[in-house]
Amino acid sequence: MANVHEEFLAEAQEIIEALSRDLLLLDQAQREERQDPDLLNEIFRAVHTLKGVAGMFGFPRLGRLAHGLEDLLDDLRLGRVALSQGVLDVLFEGVEGFQRLLTETDDGEPLVDLAAFGERIAAVSRRGPAVRGDALARYAFDDSVLSVLTEYEEHRLRSNIEQGVPLYRLRTNFRFASIDADLEALKQRAKPLGEIITYLPSAEGGTGDSIDLDILLASGEPFAALSEALSGEGASLEPVPRAGEPATAPLEPGSEETVTAAPPARAASSTEETSESAPEASLAPAPSRALSAASPPAALEVAGPPVERSLRSVSHTVRVDIRKLDHLMNVVGELAIVRSAVARATERLRGRSEQRQLAIELHRVHRGFERHLEELQDGILDVRMVPLGQVFDKLARIVRQVARDHGKEVRLLLSGQETEVDKLIVEELSDPLMHIIRNAIDHGLETPPVRELSDKPATGTLALHAYQKGKSVVIEIEDDGAGMNEERLVETAIERGLIDEAAAEELSHEEALNLIFMPSFSTSTSVTDLSGRGVGMDVVKTNISRLGGVIDVESELGSGTKFTITLPVTLAIINALLVRVRGRTFALPIASVQEAILLDRDAVRTVEGREMLTLRGATLPLCRLGDHFGLSRDLFEADKQYVVVSAVGHRRVGFVVDGLEGQQDIVIKALGQSLRQVRGFAGATDLGDQRVALVLDAPGLLEELLSTTERARRELHG
Amino acid sequence: MSDLIRRQPSGITRSGSTLAFQPQLLRELLAFVLDGESYALPLYAIREILKVPPITEVPRAGADVLGIIGVRGRITTVLDMRRLLRVAEAPITKASRVLLADDGVEVLGLLVDQVLQVHRLQDDEIEIASAFAGNVSEHVLGIGRPRASRSVSREGREAVDPNDILILLDPAHLLRRDR
Repeated sequence: MANVHEEFLAEAQEIIEALSRDLLLLDQAQREERQDPDLLNEIFRAVHTLKGVAGMFGFPRLGRLAHGLEDLLDDLRLGRVALSQGVLDVLFEGVEGFQRLLTETDDGEPLVDLAAFGERIAAVSRRGPAVRGDALARYAFDDSVLSVLTEYEEHRLRSNIEQGVPLYRLRTNFRFASIDADLEALKQRAKPLGEIITYLPSAEGGTGDSIDLDILLASGEPFAALSEALSGEGASLEPVPRAGEPATAPLEPGSEETVTAAPPARAASSTEETSESAPEASLAPAPSRALSAASPPAALEVAGPPVERSLRSVSHTVRVDIRKLDHLMNVVGELAIVRSAVARATERLRGRSEQRQLAIELHRVHRGFERHLEELQDGILDVRMVPLGQVFDKLARIVRQVARDHGKEVRLLLSGQETEVDKLIVEELSDPLMHIIRNAIDHGLETPPVRELSDKPATGTLALHAYQKGKSVVIEIEDDGAGMNEERLVETAIERGLIDEAAAEELSHEEALNLIFMPSFSTSTSVTDLSGRGVGMDVVKTNISRLGGVIDVESELGSGTKFTITLPVTLAIINALLVRVRGRTFALPIASVQEAILLDRDAVRTVEGREMLTLRGATLPLCRLGDHFGLSRDLFEADKQYVVVSAVGHRRVGFVVDGLEGQQDIVIKALGQSLRQVRGFAGATDLGDQRVALVLDAPGLLEELLSTTERARRELHG
Repeated sequence: MSDLIRRQPSGITRSGSTLAFQPQLLRELLAFVLDGESYALPLYAIREILKVPPITEVPRAGADVLGIIGVRGRITTVLDMRRLLRVAEAPITKASRVLLADDGVEVLGLLVDQVLQVHRLQDDEIEIASAFAGNVSEHVLGIGRPRASRSVSREGREAVDPNDILILLDPAHLLRRDR
């Protein structure tokens, strides 16, 4: 039962995400005053599918919401309701509603007021159809043609005629044996040129193994270009005669004023993105028409639902529970341990002269095993990778909504959506990113009048860039808004008692900006529903540090703010430095290690109760891990000690350890639920030989140490 | 012991305990020793019994936490049953074992002094604590008085003192930790 439920959630989630993406495209099209019937259809079908799934799995409230939206979309599709920003608002609200309904439980509070939403739908639907003259009369259509058009086809036909897009008839002949592929090929060729309104069996019928089809096409392209692209091999193109014109009158070039035709549905890039980030989106009923000799041509009702689809799935993807991948990762970890055991045994065998031959053979086998194991490990890691576009899409929706709520105009620039990171990271990243973006729109970007006063374009720009840099992924969130007021930040910090005035004077520009990451810091004087809900930038920072990442901020008053988040590509396998502290082994992710040096005790100075080391001219605070963790000394303290210099962002600390055990690739595993509150560890790892070592959370420890240093300094001064 | 009253199994319910719905499961118990006393946990809550592997101490963890171990690739937290039950501490011996118990949220390891055997108890061999009048810990579910003849020894011999009593523990309460 739980499985079925999860299956539903996963499927619904996918549909909703695709829906959300398409709505954004529709929004863009509407703003640019373009019509995009294909897109509208896609959205209609997605909602229709969602309704079906909801019904199948027993989610009546979700079904009801989908049903309401479906009706509205049908009206839009058929031109009974005109698309406007108001309508789009309702559609976006619907998507939010779906999202919320997924988290609704049977016994919990209802999270969506369906009745109220129904009224909102009714309100926008009520506007009634635009009154129009009978455009169809402008062309000499045969009654036999008009009578077989579906309502949707008729609407598209009218709409094209009203926009002055010339109509053509393409006479084609298809062999039954290859009609599917041929028709598809023709559609692909026609798509960039215009809109196919309908396919009609021609009056002439066809022969035994072929069929004549008339394709009604609207296109703003010149006749010659169209004819060249589509004619040939039994296909011929002719303009549809206008009312009162002789049927065969050729169209004079330029006689028809070309109005912007419905452009090719979407930019190629966005189509690609869709298919990449959610391959299943293509499962949403693609208008694949199964036509066989058995189905009479008269049944060729094409555009619009209900859409029959082939039983064979179009997509080659499978959906996998991330926990199954975690399990596989564990198995790989175990195999790695087996591998080292085999290596040790081989080594021992090599020592015996009489077994040399066998040892060499075993060694070769072992190398092969090692190589394949690595491949397997890489393969599993690769499967876990998902494009950041998944989270960017969600953010785009939020940007639109927040901007509209605040009367701000925002242009969102996205780049690097294809950058891949571990699924887990993507999941954990969406909340922090959302928070930063809300802040940027709410506090960063100014309203259009204010912007114009400071000679900025009325529309603010918010840019999300992602790119890979070595083994890290960098995400930048940049706005061209008001920037942060350093003085105000410092004042607020003093008011809140986060720092004292003496400390405030010593703050560098960077340090002042970093005040925003302190707990209970918020400069917003008005508590808005967006940013002032008590979740501050400190939470953002903590969440990112939990992922082994860092966040930095740059800001210039008047010209904008930029947040830079640096994250590891994967959490699953990392290279680590194994260190020994009072007989215990800990792993320190190599990404946060700069260098390891022998501790020169004479070089250690104590400043304000804190041990410091001068390393190449810079002061490095030290942290004796044994003391910091309160480890008992009974095991031993080596006379030789090492300093492992760890850096996260631009902050550094030297961890004092008793020994270095070398580097190793480790698989980080989460600590159990019962150890969740324990700070300082990112997880644990199996070292083999039944030994388990804790993995140090370097960013977290650094944070902890620097804040205690800060506090110590304050206590001394204050 | 005067607080213990005999009850029919249909009444074996302590609010909040998953056992409320599974009285028959209650009768299969794994007995173990802590500080010389015999305790028992319902068998359904125990996944596995392990010899004590090297335990990695976790600095800053709660007092009950002994540390972590790797069990087939999973990191498992081990709790000291002695500390959980506020019994004097003792070093790990050759007889010590780790019980892997599933509390529904995670699998936890429980260190015990020695594992005895599985008991299948009849209803009349179980005394259920009523309200326990506040003088017995919450995690004590009742007392088992196995008749030796019904005991199934792990070694296949009947070795239990017929006068032995088992302190029946409620895993739901025992393992409920601040999460």
